[in-house]
Amino acid sequence: MEQKTNNYFFKSFLTIVIAIGIFWGLKQVLPGRLFPESTAAISGIVIDSLALDAMSNDSLSISEGDSLVSDTLINRVKIETSDNSEGIGNLVNFYEKLYDLETSGKGKVRIAYFGDSMNDGDLIVQDIRSAYQNQYGGKGVGFVGITSLSASARYSVTHQFSKNWETQSFLNVKKPKRAFGVDGQVSFVPRGSQTWLKYTANDVANATLLYNPTLFYGSSSNHNASVNISFSKDSTVRYELITSKLLNTLKLSPSTKTLKATFEKADSIPFYGINFDDGSGVHVDNFSLRGNSGLPLSLFNKDLMNALDRVLNYDLIVLQYGTNVLGYGTTDYSWYESKMSGVVNHLQQCFPNASILIISTGDRAVKTNMEMQTDKAVEPLVKHQKLYAEGTHSGFINLYTLMGGYGSMVKWVQENPSLANKDYTHFNQKGAKKIGGLIYGELDKGYFEYKKLRESGRISARPKNSTQSDDL
Amino acid sequence: MLTYLESYFSLSSDQIRSWFEYDPSNPLLFSTSLFLGFFLIFYLVYILTKKYAHFRTVYVFLFSIFFYYKAGGVYFILLILSALINYILSEVMDLSPKKSIRKSILTITVVLNLLVLAYYKYTNFFIDNLNDLFHGNFQLQHIILPVGISFFTFQAISYSIDLYRRELKPAKNVLDFAFYLSFFPQLVAGPIVRAKEFLPQMYQEISLSKKEAGLALFLIITGLIKKSVISDYISLNFVDRIFDSPLSYTPFETLMAAYGYTLQIYCDFSGYSDMAIGIALLMGFKLPENFRTPYKSLSVTEFWRRWHITLSRWLRDYLYIPLGGNRKGKFRTYINLFLTMLIGGLWHGAAWKYIAWGALHGGALAVERLFRQFVKLPEKNILVNLFCGLLTFHFVAFCWIFFRAADFGVARTVIENITRLEYNPEAWLTVIQAYRNVFILIFAGFILHFTPKRLSDMVEMCFLKLPYIGRAIIVGGVFWLVYATASSSTQPFIYFQF
Repeated sequence: MEQKTNNYFFKSFLTIVIAIGIFWGLKQVLPGRLFPESTAAISGIVIDSLALDAMSNDSLSISEGDSLVSDTLINRVKIETSDNSEGIGNLVNFYEKLYDLETSGKGKVRIAYFGDSMNDGDLIVQDIRSAYQNQYGGKGVGFVGITSLSASARYSVTHQFSKNWETQSFLNVKKPKRAFGVDGQVSFVPRGSQTWLKYTANDVANATLLYNPTLFYGSSSNHNASVNISFSKDSTVRYELITSKLLNTLKLSPSTKTLKATFEKADSIPFYGINFDDGSGVHVDNFSLRGNSGLPLSLFNKDLMNALDRVLNYDLIVLQYGTNVLGYGTTDYSWYESKMSGVVNHLQQCFPNASILIISTGDRAVKTNMEMQTDKAVEPLVKHQKLYAEGTHSGFINLYTLMGGYGSMVKWVQENPSLANKDYTHFNQKGAKKIGGLIYGELDKGYFEYKKLRESGRISARPKNSTQSDDL
Repeated sequence: MLTYLESYFSLSSDQIRSWFEYDPSNPLLFSTSLFLGFFLIFYLVYILTKKYAHFRTVYVFLFSIFFYYKAGGVYFILLILSALINYILSEVMDLSPKKSIRKSILTITVVLNLLVLAYYKYTNFFIDNLNDLFHGNFQLQHIILPVGISFFTFQAISYSIDLYRRELKPAKNVLDFAFYLSFFPQLVAGPIVRAKEFLPQMYQEISLSKKEAGLALFLIITGLIKKSVISDYISLNFVDRIFDSPLSYTPFETLMAAYGYTLQIYCDFSGYSDMAIGIALLMGFKLPENFRTPYKSLSVTEFWRRWHITLSRWLRDYLYIPLGGNRKGKFRTYINLFLTMLIGGLWHGAAWKYIAWGALHGGALAVERLFRQFVKLPEKNILVNLFCGLLTFHFVAFCWIFFRAADFGVARTVIENITRLEYNPEAWLTVIQAYRNVFILIFAGFILHFTPKRLSDMVEMCFLKLPYIGRAIIVGGVFWLVYATASSSTQPFIYFQF
């Protein structure tokens, strides 16, 4: 039957109205989300097995770390800097070393910065390193591991390695063949194969050279191993690897632009990394590992870490974690607080002269009611991070409020040019620089207050610790 | 979606105000429930008053201006000014008997339009390059790009040139011209409509046949699926994060992001165009087709006949042909092709990466033309077609990397990362499993795209044959699909151990 054309206007209108009604009906009966979150574990994905165990209350017992170390540090002082940090007075050991360096122009200060993918590619850490080295001197990128999943993302030093390294990570291995190194990994050379490492300095201020490259490796019954070092076009030097001590160091070459280390007959030796520093000023080591919740740090071997600390003398340990325990649907982080308290206590035993600084998770946004909003788990997590910082006499920086608090991640992403990536979790170069500046700013305010107290005589000089330093 | 309707009985004055006020962080889009609500009310009045042409013109124009305000803020004033000035200049030109005067006025019109476009779109680009060249320190200006300015400027220019060429009867009055320039369905993202195709429709009684009514709804739902289901989901949950930081990802993920973006940009752009064409059709206006499954192309030349067709036609008629087209010898033809695409690239955005993207396409068009002079490929050979199709697709996908990357550095990183790809199916499978939802959509998107035309026409026919209630069920189902995709939580971050 022929219809008048205007009927089709009305019919179209009615179709849309009915469609809205049908939609409303479907909404009542169909699921609200087309793609529910899948948390299927697939092999090949970086997963922090300790964190998973802890979250699922697995019967596997996880080391709680050491019991609380008695608070023997003297001169604890109250230093108030801003609303974004607490317990900064707990960093006096670090501040004192910095003060020595600043006033005498001699000595070294070393920071170990432990983190997760937020520090991938040396993000944030490189900016903090740069700020300290510009202010107090020091050259070099510090300690770099043997292999790294995010090596290609790092610009502060170009890091390449052959594919045949056998690396175990404390993220997914509880009982490694040999103790984990300070970056949470231990790497082995397979028998009878060409295995190499290559580092190249880039055009980065204070890191234009690989300063005093020194190899760190562990003990072994293998006494036939050697390493060939080529650090210029046509010069190769061969070194025997002496494997008698728990921790061995070998200076590979003078400062150089590029360095390639090729290992021979070096199977069964645990390799830990190469350190690059000029021996004075401030050095900051980036020990970030993607996916790390912080809990695996409890797996450090105390004796090995003590041996390492005798060589590197850490003054400040920074822990920037949290992102990897968000997103599991929980807002109760008391379990994380207790586990991380154990981790911090363990670290205090591993690095007895170091102050410890806890940096909270930053803001992270997820989709809620069809809009990107701050994950409801962020604030509870920050609260518990503050609690374990307090309980372990650590300094605490609240990165969440420092960023701007609730809703700040969305703003950082929307900023023009943007400061964070569209995963609403990670900062980009620009954002990381800003975060690095903010963290340094908090530490610097604390140091400023410390100096005021120190110079007015309200804090006396700390007696130098008597630990013997092993020579590199 | 549709929370507005659900919360009908508990509206606060703030909420109602937010519907009518411009929110820069939430510009009005066709794929939002707010637009659906506005459109329904607008459409009902439109239907009831469609006999009154003059009222209709004023009414639609006002709604278009409101739509523009909700999409781009106060710059609706610029749109009104553009309509006014272009109309006056075109009228003066049309009434001038002397060709030289007509030509001068046309030149003034085109230059003026391009100057306004250049000011808003290219000032900072120009200052930036000037600073780089002469180590200058000129301050960048705080200029906001008015939404859709590239589209309505091109429409205004085409009107003047067609009028100059006497290919078109002028609009009867300024309001009619403003109606054409501001017609809301294509205002923000095209298609670029020619006045000579659009104005005559204004002067006819508007009508909607049974087939057109079905087609309009079909275009709207396919547009919604393309834009709000496929494009929005894969960009937020996969493509964006990889282009943000390519080195944090494996070569395989980066390659998949390049493929993903190839699908995303098509779904986003053509989906929005489809919705625009569908909405206009519901109002009884036929807008030109803008995309015709472009990735099925067997050459870059063919690609530009299928991709953003209204822009290609515009560039051909108002840039390539005036430059001399292919009438000035072979060498000039290549130069003209190349220049047209270079400028076409710059039209997409004020950055060298867009110019590079245009140059790549321009170069490919010239090379293809040269190639065809010496080599005649067999036309119906499946293997040859498959090879040409794959080559074209990959060339286009490669060029999109420049289009999407923040800058040349990022584009280079993406490309370098892809070159590090190694054959490792096990690892690839892990990535696909981990991003299962994303890959389902990418796969489905490409399958739909490469579906033979006969099959997709058949689906369209089936939809057209459905009774109204059947159509309503499908449209309602698509609404739910959009809603359920939009409310899906974001894909958690995944790192791989290879």
